[in-house]
Amino acid sequence: MRQIMNHYQKPTVQQEQAAVEVKTAFAEHLNQFNASCDAVRDIEGNQSAIANEAFKSALLSCDQNKIIQTDDGTEWRHDLDLSKISSICHRRIAGQIEFAVVESLPLKPGREMKDILNRGDNVREVLQGFIRDQRQVLRLWKDDLNAQVKEHLAEKYPGQDMSLVADSFEYKMTRAISETYVHAQSQSHGMKV
Amino acid sequence: MATDNETIQTTTSPPVERLAYSIEEAAQMLGINYHSIYRLIQRGKLKACRALRGKLLISRDELLKLLKSE
Repeated sequence: MRQIMNHYQKPTVQQEQAAVEVKTAFAEHLNQFNASCDAVRDIEGNQSAIANEAFKSALLSCDQNKIIQTDDGTEWRHDLDLSKISSICHRRIAGQIEFAVVESLPLKPGREMKDILNRGDNVREVLQGFIRDQRQVLRLWKDDLNAQVKEHLAEKYPGQDMSLVADSFEYKMTRAISETYVHAQSQSHGMKV
Repeated sequence: MATDNETIQTTTSPPVERLAYSIEEAAQMLGINYHSIYRLIQRGKLKACRALRGKLLISRDELLKLLKSE
């Protein structure tokens, strides 16, 4: 019983300090992660409207729609932007419309990747596939960042139990990804990072 | 005098070439944000390996390959 109670006791001064230090050390990561979570959530929340708008744009497509040539050599007409680097595009093949989410990623020494992330003849499904992939990316990011935090804590505080700090950090990221706050809250250890 | 010699030796020794880079370093080298790096990994465009504690690392060869591929 005593052990269980200790688990929920306030963190030690050292753990509090470590939590502040971790928050500072990984501030840029956390800022970018939270912004990406918000962006994915926005697209997910507006997916019907986005899909409708993209479909309308494709139907009314004219020569004024910007042409994007992807790295595989295919040409697409731009419909609408999903973010600074990804957009929904379409092309007409054999009387049908094919949709794609195209990413234009500028890499440092003058190289730009233009990649098709998702494609298909149903714009809603293309968008849903894109959202699914983005959620996978966020989970990958979360797992990696948690591993980085654990490594950072082990190096900075050798021999000390900082699992509470690492768990709290993980909880915060899980909560950012999760749509259901209550579910994530049950994994909390009662400490803010 | 001995200290001067040591300093000269240290400063003239060739730089050690890194074999792998962290996500932050890779993002800086490619000039993109962290999200884009993870997106490239998720899509298999950039292969990453895991260090002892699970942290992702990207080999120098992978970064060069991505920059050179057309």
